[in-house]
Amino acid sequence: MILLQSHSRFLLDTLLSRLQNIEKAVELDYHWAEFDDVRYHIQVTMKNPHIVLLSVSLPTPPPETVFLSGLPAGAIEAIKAAYGSVVQILDPPRDGFNLTLKLNLSKLPTDEEYKHALLVKIASVREVVLGAPLRVILKQLASRTVASDIDPLVALVHRPKESFFLIPQAEKVTVVFPMRFKDSIDIVLATSFLQEFVDARRTAGLNNAPYCMWSPTPPLELKGAPDEALSVNAGFVTFVVLPRHVEGKKLDRTVWSLSTFHAYVSYHVKCSEGFMHTRMRRRVESLIEALDRAKLGMENARNNAAQNRSFKRLSLKEARNHSFN
Amino acid sequence: MDPASRPAVVIDNGTGYTKMGFAGNVEPCYIVPTVVAVNESFLNQSRSTSKASWIAQHNAGVMADLDFFIGDEALEKSRSSSTYNLSYPISHGQVDNWDSMERFWQQCIFNYLRCDPEDHYFLLTESPLTAPESREYTGEIMFETFNVPGLYIAVNSVLALAAGYTTSKCEMTGVVVDVGDGASHVVPVAEGYVIGSSIKSVPIAGRDVTLFVQQLMRERGENVPPEDSFDVARKVKEMYCYTSSDIVKEFNKHDKEPSKYIKQWKGIKPKTGAPYTCDIGYERFLGPEVFFNPEIYSSDFTTPLPVVIDKCIQSAPIDTRRSLYKNIVLSGGSTMFKDFHRRLQRDIKKIVDARLRASEARVGGELKSHPVEVNVVSHPIQRYAVWFGGSVLASTPEFFGACHTKAEYEEYGASICRTNPVFKGMY
Repeated sequence: MILLQSHSRFLLDTLLSRLQNIEKAVELDYHWAEFDDVRYHIQVTMKNPHIVLLSVSLPTPPPETVFLSGLPAGAIEAIKAAYGSVVQILDPPRDGFNLTLKLNLSKLPTDEEYKHALLVKIASVREVVLGAPLRVILKQLASRTVASDIDPLVALVHRPKESFFLIPQAEKVTVVFPMRFKDSIDIVLATSFLQEFVDARRTAGLNNAPYCMWSPTPPLELKGAPDEALSVNAGFVTFVVLPRHVEGKKLDRTVWSLSTFHAYVSYHVKCSEGFMHTRMRRRVESLIEALDRAKLGMENARNNAAQNRSFKRLSLKEARNHSFN
Repeated sequence: MDPASRPAVVIDNGTGYTKMGFAGNVEPCYIVPTVVAVNESFLNQSRSTSKASWIAQHNAGVMADLDFFIGDEALEKSRSSSTYNLSYPISHGQVDNWDSMERFWQQCIFNYLRCDPEDHYFLLTESPLTAPESREYTGEIMFETFNVPGLYIAVNSVLALAAGYTTSKCEMTGVVVDVGDGASHVVPVAEGYVIGSSIKSVPIAGRDVTLFVQQLMRERGENVPPEDSFDVARKVKEMYCYTSSDIVKEFNKHDKEPSKYIKQWKGIKPKTGAPYTCDIGYERFLGPEVFFNPEIYSSDFTTPLPVVIDKCIQSAPIDTRRSLYKNIVLSGGSTMFKDFHRRLQRDIKKIVDARLRASEARVGGELKSHPVEVNVVSHPIQRYAVWFGGSVLASTPEFFGACHTKAEYEEYGASICRTNPVFKGMY
């Protein structure tokens, strides 16, 4: 796995299995959590098995981002546009959650393919809600209709109490991620990962990818951002998104990749740690093997000495062959 | 936000299946086969080639390193292409390939549960016979690779007991009969502590039942393609097998009314795509019978499961025996056969009563002893009882205090993972 999928696998599985045995009216009440502190709760009661209540709690927003009644700007419109009549937004949401959706399974379309696509869309509710403001800006970029009165620096929530920044312009949108990690080893690995990541962009195959940069100090674009948002330990990553990156179907993927960039880096840092452990383990094994070989060789030499009357000096190769026997 | 305010992650790695999910729920999120499909084609190549293409090889090797799958996806991949090798990281309840185990956890956490391991406490399980070194290794991987804030490694039989935990009955004394896919253990637990010296192992587990069913079907000449026969046998075992009270009577029943008892299996040959059918007859009750009369399957091990359980309790400290007989708990997928607990209870009761009568006869009928209560507990969540127990325990506030934290790990090293004390939330 190199990229994270935008739908929550468990949510999709649950919805699909629900649909398959909808007559069996089993109660369902499940809490789970995802990266970046997104929490879900799904509930189905015995009384009406067609109604699924799905609650989502979002990461705590930092002060510089715009949140309207607990949701990012434009989220409600995005939900309505994506789901239509299948989903209803409950107000107020369930205690401790930012959003509660009421899904009516009996209203799902009958066409299998379309139904599956819609369920996948429901399972990626996180992308729809958290990515809503980003999507609005990128859509404006695609149609080249960036409003001139827009704030030159937009902060969007990314992780609990952390944000990333957008600088929308008529021809491009600059996205800046301040990168922070907790563990000291992670910081080192992430820093070198990001530098490699920027280098990889320069290879021939990726000419059309968004331009990207890494710098240990805040880039000039971030002038005017609050200081606490600029305290980082793994530098800043800047992407320049051009209209061709957000055309048509590419928009969804761009929104998802940008809004989960931190999770992507963090996954790869963990993978590299795992890889290094594998190498270390292999090295220890080979050293132990070498030691064992030395031991066996001694025994064999002694046995040989006892059996043979005369001694013959073995070449290194022969000695090794003997030790294997 | 403090990790303790988020639900803990509970992962129960079994030989056959891994159960994973978040604490506080009744069911695990996923039950997937414990298997990893690794693409090792690059790694072996790079040794022999020249240094000129080293970078290219290295990059390919690194990418191949990310190219692996677990669970059902792994099985599918290995079937459809030959570049993937299957690796089963756990055998007989013990981890033996740490590389694939680490990768397996990686995928569990990032691809299935999709959570950030730095945000959640973890509860893992191990078999009661696991060596302390293996716990150290687990701790090392969890703290070093995944940076988990806290870790608790619980003994799976204790968790199975805790699964029966309700507010009215807080019993942490009992015998856990854990019959999984690759290993079976009978583990006596007193007040939450495992009585290590009395643990009995049975070399017969779920996989043997499958093999036996496969053997029976093959000997009868059923029309099953050989490459598929193990899989068919496993499905037959899971869907149709049941426990009988008496084999002879059961044989008679089958012979009298074959239409009622003999089932049909329909399948499609994987190579040619042609459909086939076969009959399922005596193996329906002979499969589970392996536990009660092992001599029909192997000549090496002939002690029936009820006798093993009785021996196990007899070797436990005398003051715990009565309460052990009273609470015999089943856990593991291979105890799911219909009426398994009834048969087990009846057989153990028979052994115990015979012993009581013998001792009464020996003292000449002057002393009457209390009858011993034998109780085999069965519940509908047996298949993932261990996971459920973990979920219950990890949702108590005491759990977070009992965990080894990252700070402790950094202060004292991996050796702190050797012991995982019983905590108050357990009973």
